[in-house]
Amino acid sequence: MMTLTDVLEDTEVVESTIPDLPWVTIVWNDPVNLMSYVSYVFRSYFGFSEAEANKRMLQVHNDGRAVVATGNREEMERHVEAMHDFGLWATLQKVDE
Amino acid sequence: MRSRGLFVAEFLPEEARLLSSLADQITELVRDPEAHRADPAVHRLLPDAYPDDAEASAEFRRFTVDGLAERKAANANQVAADLASAAEAKSASKVRLTDSSAGAWLRSLTDIRLTVATRLGITEDGDLGTEEPELIDLYNWLGFVQGSLVDCLDR
Repeated sequence: MMTLTDVLEDTEVVESTIPDLPWVTIVWNDPVNLMSYVSYVFRSYFGFSEAEANKRMLQVHNDGRAVVATGNREEMERHVEAMHDFGLWATLQKVDE
Repeated sequence: MRSRGLFVAEFLPEEARLLSSLADQITELVRDPEAHRADPAVHRLLPDAYPDDAEASAEFRRFTVDGLAERKAANANQVAADLASAAEAKSASKVRLTDSSAGAWLRSLTDIRLTVATRLGITEDGDLGTEEPELIDLYNWLGFVQGSLVDCLDR
C-alpha cells in the first residue's frame, strides 16, 4: 500500500520534471519588411494557415508585436535565430514578463 | 513570374550590377560582425535576442552569430552569382531562379533592404528618409523586386 510519504515523494518527482515557465518568441514591427513577406515567413516557417499567418502579421503591424510561438527556451532560441535568418526582428522572453 | 518550378525575372545590366554590388556589401558587412558592431545596419541584421538582458543577448550572439553571418553571406553570394551573366549582358536579360535560389534571394533582399533603410534613417512606419532621393528610389525598387518574388512564391 502506498503511504502518504510515497505519494509526496512521487509528487516531488513529477514536479521536478515539469518544465520551467514557458517562453515566447515575439516578432516586432519594423518599417521595412513587407506585409506579404512577413505573412509568407509565418506560413512557410511556422506552418500557419494563411488566415492565422495574416492574423499574426496584422497584429505585428497594428500592435507593434505578436507572439508567434510558445515553448521551452531552447526551442524559442531556435525560432529567434530562424527569424533573424529571414531578417525579421524577433526576441524571446519568459511568458510572465 | 513563375514557370515550371523556376522564377524568372528580367534585369537591365545596370540593375543587375547594382543589386550584385549591394549583395557584395552585405557579404562584407557580415564577414566580421564584431568589427562592424557599431554599425546600426549590422545591429539590425543581427539584433539582440533578449531585449532586456544584455548578458543573455551576448550569450545568444556568441552561439549564433557565426552561423547567421555565414548563411547571410551565402545568400548574398547566391544573388550575386545568379546575376553574373545579366550584369555582363548588353541589354535586359532574364534571370532564372530555382526554388532554393529563390529562398536565398528572399532573405538577402531583406538584408539589403534593411541595410539601405538603416542608411536612409527609416526606423519607424511612415519614415520616408527624405535626404537622398536616389537611395529612396533604390529602396523602393528593391521593395518592388522583393514583393514580386513573394507574390510568385505565394502562387
